[in-house]
Amino acid sequence: MSESELIEIAGQWNFNYNYFAGESASRFFRELRENQRIMGTRCTKCRRLLVPARAFCDACMERTNEWEAVGPEGTLDTFTIITTQFPGLPKPPIVMAYVTLDGADTALINLVHGLDMSDIDKAARRLNSLPRVRTKFIDEPKGRITDFSFELI
Amino acid sequence: MTAVAVIGVGQTNYRRAHKDKSSRELIWEASKMALEDANMDIGGIDAIMAGIAPEALSGEGSVERGGMMGVGKPFLRINTGGVTGSSTVFAGTTYIQSGRAKAVLVVALERMGQATSSQQVFNTIFDPVYEKDFPLTTITMAALRASMLMRMYGYTEQHWAEIAARSFRNACRNPHAHLKLDITADDVLKSPLLAWPIHRYEACPMSEGACAMVLAAEDIVGDRNAAWVQGAASTSDSYAMGDRIRRPEATLVDLLSLRLSAERAFKQAGIDRPLEQIQAVELYSAFSSAEAMAYPALHFCKPEDGPRFVEAQFSDPSLPKINPSGGPQGANPVSATAMVRIAECALQVRGMAGERQVADVDRAVATGQGGATQFSTVCVLGKKKVH
Repeated sequence: MSESELIEIAGQWNFNYNYFAGESASRFFRELRENQRIMGTRCTKCRRLLVPARAFCDACMERTNEWEAVGPEGTLDTFTIITTQFPGLPKPPIVMAYVTLDGADTALINLVHGLDMSDIDKAARRLNSLPRVRTKFIDEPKGRITDFSFELI
Repeated sequence: MTAVAVIGVGQTNYRRAHKDKSSRELIWEASKMALEDANMDIGGIDAIMAGIAPEALSGEGSVERGGMMGVGKPFLRINTGGVTGSSTVFAGTTYIQSGRAKAVLVVALERMGQATSSQQVFNTIFDPVYEKDFPLTTITMAALRASMLMRMYGYTEQHWAEIAARSFRNACRNPHAHLKLDITADDVLKSPLLAWPIHRYEACPMSEGACAMVLAAEDIVGDRNAAWVQGAASTSDSYAMGDRIRRPEATLVDLLSLRLSAERAFKQAGIDRPLEQIQAVELYSAFSSAEAMAYPALHFCKPEDGPRFVEAQFSDPSLPKINPSGGPQGANPVSATAMVRIAECALQVRGMAGERQVADVDRAVATGQGGATQFSTVCVLGKKKVH
């Protein structure tokens, strides 16, 4: 018996959850699935069109009311290119970006597809020019934020 | 209002994993050292505040149970993400200022060495409705800001690398630091790219360890070596990062919450010329871009002068020393990191920082950054009591 042996006890957290999206995000997701439209909601006080849609504006603490479609085109605001595999996360390279869709006052995050990734620095330079992008829906939308992604125009 | 001082500091070493100590033992070790530094025993402590961030990082629910020390004392557990450590200190400070306690033991623990996939855990802190399906992590969140800073203010990958290399070199003088690397900016740029523009050696390490401090009301400080809390402010910002990208009054990289915290804390401390009145700064900068965002927020320079400020640090000895401990790049025990910043400032003010001591410190400033930068804290410590 080693006097200095340190014991490790294996553990695992593997709980199952169902996250409740709430009424506003549910409507946003239904619009994605049924109409392939990206919707925002307008704050009754600051009048910003918040995208993705939500029930209230957290800066003003006021309800949103009007629903409006934005895009389908927009402008890339900022990005990163994930180049290293982290355990439990998707396989690189992945381009993730914030895009302000036409008509929106806020940016939303999603992946950017269709870029040549053979030269990461070259891809970064292209994205650094803050290109125009369009939303592209998957063939069978499921009512999830992953129903669409962006591609460069 | 009663003035509050830091009279004791205790830190375990920070490293990837403390396999020789249970979570409770880490909390106890740091707390015991803080009490010894304060020349007190647990009987003199009126309340305990324990700071611990997401529990999934340790895989232990209610891991604050390890903070139960002594009996019959008010106890709070605090979690505000990256600023957990400084929020815990501020809770203790407020307890004393309000007259509810004379002496408070504050302690923060990070136990992430027990997690086999911390970036996967970090992904779970994001909004499950709109965000969790994307590879949002602490690293990618920083990368989204770094690329924005490069476009807006002219930072280059070289600046990020210079900042990181300086921190790692400073960490060589800190016995508690986890990553002590005598490296150059070139070494940083040659390390693997994690998420453009962030390289391996520009990211903070995953560290665990505990930090504790004893806070005391002025009437029990006596002749102890004290670092006075001259200013303390904590502010929040809107959660959604996308809402702040084009916000006219402050974009995502303008750190409104840190600027407001700095303005409030500096006012309390009587600071109106920060570059002249502060000698040491401990920034919560887990990535170089976080340090760059702090310069204008702390009124060190205008945002567009940030790249020049990075360069000036290497040539102008009159500027405050940034992260003499190595900062979060030397060790990033997440739940404790913001308390470590304050503890390091307390050591600087008390002249107890050993090899990393900055000369003639009258005032030192510690920052905290948490969540999707929606929490910021600023704490000013000084040799003189300020009411």
